[in-house]
Amino acid sequence: MANPSLPLVRLTGLTKKFGAVSAVRNLNFQIHRGDFVAIFGPNGAGKTTLLKMVAGLTSPTSGEVKFEGDRSARARAETGYVSHQTLLYNELTGRENLLFYARLYGLDGGADLADSMLSRVGLAEARNLMVRGFSRGMKQRLTLGRALLHEPRLLLLDEPYTGLDQHGSRLLTRLLGTLRAEGRTVLMITHNLAEGLELSTRVMILHRGKLAHQARQEELTRSALENLYFEIVER
Amino acid sequence: MWLANSNRALGSARTSVRFVAWLLVPLYLLGVLALYTAFIYAPTERVMGEVQRIFYFHVGAAWTAFLAFFFVFLGGVIYLMRRNVFWDYLAAASAEVGVIFTTIVLVTGPIWARPVWNTWWPWGDPRVTTTLVLWLIYVAYLILRNSLGEGEKRARFSAVFGIIGFIDVPIVWLSIRWWRTIHPVVITKTGASLEPEMVQALIVSVATFTVFYIALMCLRLAMHLHNSAAEEMAQAVRERSE
Amino acid sequence: MNNLKLIWWLALKDLKIEYRSRQAFLTTLFFAVLILIIFNFAFDPGSNATREASPGILWVALLFPGIIQLNRSFQSEVEEGTLQGIVLSPVDRGVFFLGKFMANWLFLVAIDMLILAAFVVFFNFTLSGGLLWVLLLMVLVGIGFTAVGTVFAAMVSNIRIREVLLPILLFPIIVPIILAAVNGTREVLIHNDFSTLFRWMQLLIAFDVIFLAAGFLVFDYVVGE
Repeated sequence: MANPSLPLVRLTGLTKKFGAVSAVRNLNFQIHRGDFVAIFGPNGAGKTTLLKMVAGLTSPTSGEVKFEGDRSARARAETGYVSHQTLLYNELTGRENLLFYARLYGLDGGADLADSMLSRVGLAEARNLMVRGFSRGMKQRLTLGRALLHEPRLLLLDEPYTGLDQHGSRLLTRLLGTLRAEGRTVLMITHNLAEGLELSTRVMILHRGKLAHQARQEELTRSALENLYFEIVER
Repeated sequence: MWLANSNRALGSARTSVRFVAWLLVPLYLLGVLALYTAFIYAPTERVMGEVQRIFYFHVGAAWTAFLAFFFVFLGGVIYLMRRNVFWDYLAAASAEVGVIFTTIVLVTGPIWARPVWNTWWPWGDPRVTTTLVLWLIYVAYLILRNSLGEGEKRARFSAVFGIIGFIDVPIVWLSIRWWRTIHPVVITKTGASLEPEMVQALIVSVATFTVFYIALMCLRLAMHLHNSAAEEMAQAVRERSE
Repeated sequence: MNNLKLIWWLALKDLKIEYRSRQAFLTTLFFAVLILIIFNFAFDPGSNATREASPGILWVALLFPGIIQLNRSFQSEVEEGTLQGIVLSPVDRGVFFLGKFMANWLFLVAIDMLILAAFVVFFNFTLSGGLLWVLLLMVLVGIGFTAVGTVFAAMVSNIRIREVLLPILLFPIIVPIILAAVNGTREVLIHNDFSTLFRWMQLLIAFDVIFLAAGFLVFDYVVGE
């Protein structure tokens, strides 16, 4: 049973091991509605693994991920995920891709939804073009559209700025700003300290699979964050 | 529940090896008894002659080959339920020992079949060909494991393949039996009547092979557990040195 | 969520992708025809022995390309991580299995029909009602082959040696349906023995039911992480 007074996502003792290697260790964290959490950390810190566990793509070795107290896999329907891979079918058009995902998520009026989302991400013109012919920026925008199609309560982004040109970056920042204003809950992994800090309400720094530091955005200036980050990483 | 604690893995390994130590004396005695009953106690078979004595080892090995596969299946099922890698190691150990016994069956079979039935390989015989398919499934299982690194994915996939294989073996047996009745193969069931001493020798042999299987399987299991513990410890050292 | 529709949409997605490139269909078809031709050179085309052996040749020509197609069916999912897209969604894993199964099976049956035509030509069979029975056999064998094959193809999709590993895993398991396929075909086309054919079909149906159910149940363990 979903209970709105609980945090949206609660991570308890979350651990993930690949063989003998621990990618994520005993992580405890709570995400509340409307939080925009920026996750920083060096390569190999376990950020992607953490995000995958929250998304339900990877199951934890121990510990758990709870959605408003509800542990069922239904929570998948509430989550949107954007990663390095586009999760798009190259041989289908933009419209067909979105229509497919609309059906996967059981959304009514799939065709209309697809069309309106295409407009929203500025791809209405390219709707009958196969994704194979898209530029990197276009693919990234369509991916965002895919992730937002089912109006997820929780949006997970894994370094979404990677490979984006100026135009794409600006569009993404604008889109994220809108999401933040709408009060959507977002978890974003990023290497861009400045951008991440500006967009976020809370900040997490991961190191060696552990939560090295967390803070509210107001508590940190950009330089303070940088110093903190490098201090942790060089520890 | 993963074996997060390398000490627990070592503890299990130690128990396993100790168990084998207890089995050594009974195994030795049984082994001697089996050799005696197979070669001396049991009378020579009238029709086939001395070569028939291989039958005792052949059947003993065959029984354990299939028993081992049952444990591959069981280990897989329990792993999927409990997610404790111990059961995956048990399944793997069972497969490693099982494939050896199956190879023994497949090698002793033709040695026996040729002088008796004048053919190296009686394809239409369901037991023979099913054992061959079992061997193929074992080898496939081990190749699959080998191509995946240590981890829960390997354990999961092995379990799935083991389960599918286990469901399949009876169907294979049935299909070959139907095949045989349609194309009557030259081999008719040798009317070899088993005298009581032969039955006794057979029982001893089967018991010996079973104990032998358990001992070997536990040793392999201990080895897997040791490896896992060693890897954990090495990883801990790596992390501390960073 | 209407699960039946979902299965159809999942299958449709795969078929659409396949149709767009058409590459797999044509190359698989070509490969199968090639096998038939090679066997005609390998064996004496006119002899009785070859005729008796021809059902076996037919099925070899169907099975190997079938394996290749199975491997390819998951390549599209690994490419841009689209498998994750499906796993992320609330779709039941068993439903996902059935969708993939349906697409693979339809593809296989389409190829089978064309290969049967080539087979009739190369091995000089007369057009008879028996061929319809062979088609039915292809449909049934296709189900069992695709059910187990889809599970294994998903497993090996991320393994480097998947091309050789998939047949290693699959062939031992499908021995019963190979026997049923070849013998059934022989009985109907050459010996005109329908009672035996029906016995083999019973075995096929049992195999199909068991492994379709098994695939449905274990697929969660194969695609979840």
